Amino acid sequence: MNLTQRAQRLLVDNLTLEDALPTQMPVYVNSVVYLFGVTTLSALGALVLTGVIMSLFGPAWYHGSNVGHFVNSLHFWSVQVFFGALVLHMVSKYLMAAWRDGRWKTWMVGALAFGVAVITGLTGFLSQTNWDSQWVAVQAKDAMNALGVGAFFNTMDAGQVLTLHIVVMPLLLALLVGVHLFFIRREGPVKPFQTEGRHDEAN
Amino acid sequence: MTKRTDAYFRNVPMKPYDLLAEGLIVLLVVAVVVVVLAAVLSSPDYPTVRGEDVANRQPVAFVQTSANILAGNSSIQDYGPPYTPDTDNAQSLFGIAPAKWFGVRDRIDPAQDFILKPLARAAVLNHDVATALDTYEAAIPDEQQTWVTAYLSALDEATVVNGEVRVTPGDYGPVPTLMSGMLDLGRSGLLEGALESNAKLPFTLDFTRSLLFFQDDVYASVAEKLNLLGDQWGISNETGRYPGAWWLWPYTFLYQIEPMSSSDNADLQVGAIMIGVFLIMLLIPLIPVVSWLPRWLRVNRVIWRRWYARNDGP
Repeated sequence: MNLTQRAQRLLVDNLTLEDALPTQMPVYVNSVVYLFGVTTLSALGALVLTGVIMSLFGPAWYHGSNVGHFVNSLHFWSVQVFFGALVLHMVSKYLMAAWRDGRWKTWMVGALAFGVAVITGLTGFLSQTNWDSQWVAVQAKDAMNALGVGAFFNTMDAGQVLTLHIVVMPLLLALLVGVHLFFIRREGPVKPFQTEGRHDEAN
Repeated sequence: MTKRTDAYFRNVPMKPYDLLAEGLIVLLVVAVVVVVLAAVLSSPDYPTVRGEDVANRQPVAFVQTSANILAGNSSIQDYGPPYTPDTDNAQSLFGIAPAKWFGVRDRIDPAQDFILKPLARAAVLNHDVATALDTYEAAIPDEQQTWVTAYLSALDEATVVNGEVRVTPGDYGPVPTLMSGMLDLGRSGLLEGALESNAKLPFTLDFTRSLLFFQDDVYASVAEKLNLLGDQWGISNETGRYPGAWWLWPYTFLYQIEPMSSSDNADLQVGAIMIGVFLIMLLIPLIPVVSWLPRWLRVNRVIWRRWYARNDGP
């Protein structure tokens, strides 16, 4: 079996078209909590779009013009919606024990994506090129230095911080979100708890 | 569906579903919410605090900052890695000090890098500063320290006359001229440029020195007024009435409680706890009790209430 055939087999075994773009769902998928994930994803899309526009026009534009500041505001509120939806998504998935029936990889990749998102947010605050950036830079450097991370990550190096924020961290986040979505679509939504008092089903 | 999902959903009633329609509707709602919030509430953008602003508005504070650095009172003086080789102040936990692992990566001598080297540039433009700098550097360290210490004490009673910082007459050596040179450098707007590495100019993107210059008193004073100090929940706040990085509340909360709130190793302690909390979150599916809690909490009965109403629930 050659490489292409193996790739075909991988998709057939793990992600058919109906898995990737489902046209039917189990009837228990019937709650607003199932929208928190796609809300997070939508806010991430808004973040990428507004971030790309800000990158194209630069800091002088988003600090100095009304249109630029508006796009900066769109980015700011997209962050708030993103983390709001992400926290609700994680809490609801915990309360549903959504890692059951072999979905532990989905949970773990999602948790890693959350960690990467937090670091992306930090580099975002550091990249604002305003007072927030100044203050967060000198405050956060103590935490980084205490952990030994400061030897490689300097919160006061705007060049390093900005490239991390707009290239490295988004790529890493996109990769993790992609794997997370692959697992979600491959496995489908976890079933509700079936019986009382059997803790083993929560694993 | 694949064999995997076919087997899992066998005997589970299905309903029609449109993934793309759902995604597009949610995307539209999110876009509308974000546009409305941005249009109505705008966003915080508190301007930078520059050397020029401090020198013009708070000349005594500017000179005190400069004199304190020259006297060796900067918090970077004995900070330890990655700035200085002295490791006494490197934070440690159970005898482990990660800050020591990689040593000095960006050597900083505050008096030299923050004061004397920028003054050497100002000296090219100002002969008085050049002479004062020669005098200061020719003196022995004890004499330098005596001048600076006396001048720092005198600054407590300093006045500003015609923009100049005046102190009572005393034996301060060349220090008043040097400080006047620093004040002029600040007012000219050239301080930040003079602080950064000459080798990288004009492509400097690393503002380590210009940010560290004001961090002790000036930034802390501004931050206190804006409720941004560490004991005010620090960087999870935002300027004005805007929400900040509230997702960092668990992190900043740890700085408010003992032993971290009074510890010299607080950053390392809080960092270690947060790494531990993250690992627990990551490994929840494998951890007994924590992974069983959702069943016991029974919030899932609300989420899946319609399903449980039709089927035997937990």
